[in-house]
Amino acid sequence: MRMALFCLAFVFFTACAGTREVYRDPNMDFGAIRSVAVMPFLSLARDNIAAERVRDVFINDLLATGAVYVVPVGEVARGAARAEVVTPATPSPEEVIKLASIIKVQAVITGVLKEYGEVRSGTTSANIISVSLQMMEAQTGKIVWSASTTKGGINIWDRLFGGGGQPMDKITQDAVRDLINKLFK
Amino acid sequence: MDNRSSVSSINGKIGRVSAAIFSVCILLSAVFWAAEGAGSNAGPPEQGFSIAVLPVENLSGTKAPVKDIRALLIRRLKAQGFQILDDESLEKFMLRNRLRYTGGINKAVAQAFKTETGVGSVLITSLELYSEVNPPKIALTCRLVSTGENPVILWMDGAGLAGDDSPGILGLGLIEDPMALLEKAVGRVEGSLGRYLNRKPAGENVQSVKRKFKPETFYRSDVLVSNARYSVAVAPFLNFSGRRNAAEILELQFIRSLKKSDQFDVIEPGVVRQQLLALRIIIPEGISLSDAGALFTLLNADLILTANVVQYEDYTGSFGKAKVDFFTQLIDRKSRSVVWSSVSHNEGDDGVFFFDRGRVNTAYAMASQMTRWVGKMMLAQGKRAEEAGEQGGENKMIEKGKQ
Repeated sequence: MRMALFCLAFVFFTACAGTREVYRDPNMDFGAIRSVAVMPFLSLARDNIAAERVRDVFINDLLATGAVYVVPVGEVARGAARAEVVTPATPSPEEVIKLASIIKVQAVITGVLKEYGEVRSGTTSANIISVSLQMMEAQTGKIVWSASTTKGGINIWDRLFGGGGQPMDKITQDAVRDLINKLFK
Repeated sequence: MDNRSSVSSINGKIGRVSAAIFSVCILLSAVFWAAEGAGSNAGPPEQGFSIAVLPVENLSGTKAPVKDIRALLIRRLKAQGFQILDDESLEKFMLRNRLRYTGGINKAVAQAFKTETGVGSVLITSLELYSEVNPPKIALTCRLVSTGENPVILWMDGAGLAGDDSPGILGLGLIEDPMALLEKAVGRVEGSLGRYLNRKPAGENVQSVKRKFKPETFYRSDVLVSNARYSVAVAPFLNFSGRRNAAEILELQFIRSLKKSDQFDVIEPGVVRQQLLALRIIIPEGISLSDAGALFTLLNADLILTANVVQYEDYTGSFGKAKVDFFTQLIDRKSRSVVWSSVSHNEGDDGVFFFDRGRVNTAYAMASQMTRWVGKMMLAQGKRAEEAGEQGGENKMIEKGKQ
């Protein structure tokens, strides 16, 4: 009987638990970050341009918050070349420290575009985007914030009525806004 | 007998009335034709103002009758009474000065044009789209650049047309002949140039800039002063789209849109190109602040505009939709920082629900409105810019992260 109650309680409690999609370093003072560099995103999707588009949207929306300044992409590229960053999409902590000192930023953001484009399930199709971002502190190269999001995909309405889901630009905006909300929460 | 006489008198009256109406119609049509003829023959305001028409720069990525387009432009301009530098003199000048690039002129070429040929301006034409597949499509941009020590863009306009832009009832308005469409496009550009040179008000309809072409999101720094006048250099854009020359095409669109605003003095792209070549600046991943600094000093510009073109798609035939997607940034000379950033994305059938009403058939026509919005919002008052962004429904400036 006790075992059955325990199992029931376990099922109920775990049902309420959400998946943690955000990590924040509790010791980090995010208010001290005034300027950031956004590195080119690593694309695991088929579309190579997609990473550039998501990066552009993210830079624009992050600037639009007015909370942090984002260094121009050309300056980031120049800094990465001067700091001899081997793969700008995935810099090592040492490379982050060196890069940040050249372009004078307090944090470096890297990203991975995991999925971008159309997904199919049977006869139904819809657009989907899945992105994860990391913020690394300039002084130590340590990850201080990490978040991921997935938007779009096939829902019950798409299955029932078709329609092809939301346009790609709309779900990209939604995903980026979700990530920014998670950053400023 | 009486009846016969009354009938004949009525007939006589009708005859007189119809003769009078006929004569009035002839008189009115004669007056109309005379007025139209006078308008088309009106010459430029300044005597001796001559134009050199450079060979057409083909950015369409396809084979196009560029010589025919140039010949048509020259014929139309001559018909308006403008003096055009003859082909032989132009050819000799181009050979002498080793002028191969016809998409712009630098200071040395502008000076040489003035001293060697005596022309007052150079007409630069870029063909951006040419498709003969039914319905045909064409897009071209022309700009008039002054010669002499400091080449300045005097006028700039263009036309982007598709044969099915106005199909009308039963498709009577369809244009299936590419030459007819070309003549229409050239006529539109030539008309605009004529209005400029004859100092007539521009015929542009400001109301035609639709709200759906606003940037999706934007950032505008307080550093930008709404009532100030800025000199802008357009740095080479980055092309991530599949379309050849999309970056150059969008650059021209931005130059045209900014030129329409009285608050921007856009530096001739040929001059910017010359400085980039002189400094050996290559921009594979966007302009860096050090390169921007060098350009600010050499060009004496207040702002540098850069952009990434993600999509610039036209379609051939009747089925498909045009797509334009770009990201712009404006770098300020004083603060050496990004003062404007925006993301714009539109498709030809955005906001179209019934009978293709409001559909845009060429990327040119769409990009033209999108860039005009960006130019308009760059110098809008802070509050106004936000309102402009919010009124578009989905075009909301992000407020959530503001501290």
